[in-house]
Amino acid sequence: MANLVRRPGAGLRRVRQQDRGPLVEYLAFALAGEPYAAPVSLVREILKPPPLTPVPRAPRSVLGIVSVRGQLVTVIDLRRRLRLAEAQPTRRARILLVDGEAGETLGLFVDEVLAVYRLADGEVEAAATALGNEVAPYIAGIARPGAARMAIAAPLGAGEAAKKRATMASAPAEEGGVVILLDLRAVLA
Amino acid sequence: MADAQDRAREEFFSEAQEIVEGLGRDLLGLDEGQRTGRVDAELVNDLFRAVHTLKGLAGLFGANRMSTLSHELEGLLDDMRLGRVELTPTVLDLLFRSAELYDRILQNEKEGRDQAMPEVDDLIRELHRGKGGAPPPSPIGHYELDPGLLAVLTEYEEHRLRTNIAQGLTLFRLRVQFQLATIDQALDDLKAAAKPHGEIITYLPTGAGADADSIELDILMACKLTGAELEVALALNGVAVEEVARRPVAAVSSSPVPFDRGATAEGAAGTRVRDGSEARRREALDVASLLPPQMVQREAGGAGPKVPLDVASIRSVAQTVRVDIQKLDRLMNIVGELAIVKSSLTRLSDRLRAAHISRELSSDLHRLQRTFDRHLESMQKGILEVRMVPLGQVFDKLARVVRQISRDADKHVNLVITGAETEVDKLIVEELSDPLMHMMRNAIDHGIESRSAREAVGKPAMGTIALNAFQKGNHVVIEIEDDGGGIDTDRLLDAAVRRGVLAADEARTSSRREVLNLVFIPGMTTKSDVSELSGRGVGMDVVKTNISKLGGVIDLGSERGIGTKVTITLPITLAIISALLVDVAGRTFALPLANVQEAIVLEPDAVRRIDDREVVTLRGTTLPLCFLGQLFELDGSAVVGASPGGAGAGHAVTKRNGKRFVVVVSVGSRKLGLVVDTLIGEQDVVIKALGASLKSVRGFAGATELGDQRIGLVLDAPALLEELSTSPRDARQASEARDG
Repeated sequence: MANLVRRPGAGLRRVRQQDRGPLVEYLAFALAGEPYAAPVSLVREILKPPPLTPVPRAPRSVLGIVSVRGQLVTVIDLRRRLRLAEAQPTRRARILLVDGEAGETLGLFVDEVLAVYRLADGEVEAAATALGNEVAPYIAGIARPGAARMAIAAPLGAGEAAKKRATMASAPAEEGGVVILLDLRAVLA
Repeated sequence: MADAQDRAREEFFSEAQEIVEGLGRDLLGLDEGQRTGRVDAELVNDLFRAVHTLKGLAGLFGANRMSTLSHELEGLLDDMRLGRVELTPTVLDLLFRSAELYDRILQNEKEGRDQAMPEVDDLIRELHRGKGGAPPPSPIGHYELDPGLLAVLTEYEEHRLRTNIAQGLTLFRLRVQFQLATIDQALDDLKAAAKPHGEIITYLPTGAGADADSIELDILMACKLTGAELEVALALNGVAVEEVARRPVAAVSSSPVPFDRGATAEGAAGTRVRDGSEARRREALDVASLLPPQMVQREAGGAGPKVPLDVASIRSVAQTVRVDIQKLDRLMNIVGELAIVKSSLTRLSDRLRAAHISRELSSDLHRLQRTFDRHLESMQKGILEVRMVPLGQVFDKLARVVRQISRDADKHVNLVITGAETEVDKLIVEELSDPLMHMMRNAIDHGIESRSAREAVGKPAMGTIALNAFQKGNHVVIEIEDDGGGIDTDRLLDAAVRRGVLAADEARTSSRREVLNLVFIPGMTTKSDVSELSGRGVGMDVVKTNISKLGGVIDLGSERGIGTKVTITLPITLAIISALLVDVAGRTFALPLANVQEAIVLEPDAVRRIDDREVVTLRGTTLPLCFLGQLFELDGSAVVGASPGGAGAGHAVTKRNGKRFVVVVSVGSRKLGLVVDTLIGEQDVVIKALGASLKSVRGFAGATELGDQRIGLVLDAPALLEELSTSPRDARQASEARDG
């Protein structure tokens, strides 16, 4: 994790945030070209995808199973689970290990891991006001963090190029860009 | 800190549970004894000790209810030991109820529930009433016994003496010289030699000894042999056997006990203090420290409920180690990883040999690898053995349930158990207890007829339920067979048609087996009217599901008027299995070898179609086929728009030109041919369960690591058999439900 980059100036901003509630760290990742995020505290580990073994007759959103140090983990394709457009995974795809229901560890297959944002509760807008009435039940809210809120760029980035992608190519880095915060419990239910 | 406390609590529960289970076992022995009229005194002692230990444990952990119950129960058992209370069916009932309540109390304590248990309070009151009572008149006065000896008998010994006399045994006095250095061993040997012939009631040092290093004991023994025979039987040098003479009847005084507690004085025997505490007795009698521990312990028990925990019981517990089954699972995982290392090692060794680099090096590696294999194998076996427990653990519980239910239902039932020593994986035993309990209940409630009905058809009034277990290859078979009324298939069919489970024309063509299997359909069994007419009860579908989860199958046979037999076939262990690896559409699957009978080449021309299903003829019998690629809708064989087993199937058979194989799997008496592309080979695999999110996916028993990060799914042969033996119509419905 040598290339994790702590953004300078984070300490200064904390003062301004005090009146907006405690800061929560969110891991942002890309799905079908859109940035999504989930609380970092729920993500146990980020894996490069090992070979997946598909399970016949499993629900469509199940990509397959992998072994993580001897433990079987069911991997769920978040694109499919959220009914987004499907595409072939790229080299940048990652699996986020999260704790599912009943203590089961699940893998969430995402296109790319982008960054970690620190957000106060006050910065999270209820999805209903932002997206109209058609709110998917698995969306906890949205945020417009901008580059300033980024605590760590490209947590798993392989180097400068990845960092650049994280800050440049992804919408939320630009001021006004929107990140969709997922309610993981609803996603996994 | 809290952790240590939790662990201690855990220990408490598992130890208490173990003791309560033992209690149940002893009670059954007592029940048996009570019926045949010969109660084993040791059993009563064991019970007393067990309850005593429970009391100690309960006190330690503040389980008050348990501690009170134990205290009362201990009192009752003590009275029984001493002959103050006779073992009557009523007393036995109290004991059985106590054992059952212990179970429930433990359950409540474990779940941290503190609800009122009025039944416990009731029982405690009853126990309290049941205690005490006058001892039967003593026949001891009929014998020419030294009053000095009688005066030092403990109450327990007195009771044993009475009992033995009542049984018509002859009393003997033995005088034996022992070397002080070896007295422990020698006394044990003597007891062992005496045990088959009778009982040693007490022994006392006579005070006379040949020299300072030896001691003479005066032993009072009851025995069924004559004096001469006893001398031979004991085969001990220097033992003097003397029969205790009976008094002429006229000389017997009317006072039943010629020695009462009041008359006891230190001077009477000069050596022992009656009614003294253990410590005092030791003091008064130097030789007590020389007595073997069993003896001391027996006396300690006799001194009543005040004594601390038995020395012997602590020792026996320390002999074994309780292990959390999950720790064994983890060990098994490591063995699995090692197995992967092993196969890599084999590949490396093969490569080295093929490369002809160094003959010496390669043969050294080969040897090393062979040694590694061998040790790994014995390690695997060792861990599996540790996990094995006898089925008796659950059978004992069943016996108690049978006693209870047959009482409630007012039916006389004789449970005959064979094969309780058959061993299975601990996890399986745990999971078995509910289904077995259920089937027992069914057999008594619905299987065995009422007494009058049985007599009317000339059956013995007492019904019989046989519970048999035996090992068969890699499986354990458990049979539950009753001689009751059997299942009324006609009425079962009627009910099925009424309920719409079966169409009327299907009902006519159904085989007997298919009809019997109707009891496993959920809707059929939960309705009370069905269970009444069918004579078989609620929840057989649950039983079946539980058994299937363990990788087992359940089979039902029933003959009207003769009885019903349920056969359960289970794998011995779940953790590691030999498997056949096969390839289907480029994916590797593992098939437990236990289910595999043989593999044959598929002759596409030989495939016929019967009842919407592909079959081949194998040595004269019809073998239904299952095209795995098609069933799992894998690349190249997915059937679009056609129902499984429909027109697409014939297409799939002829589509490929490559040779394919049929792996014949069998579970119980049923067989199925699984069509696969390639046979890869045999391998020992560690089965790991699929995650909870894949629970609803049918057909897989789990998955296993194949090395180089790949995972193979393990096929669940029993489930596949089950799935494919339901009628095609059901299968279609099931698949529609799945897709929808």
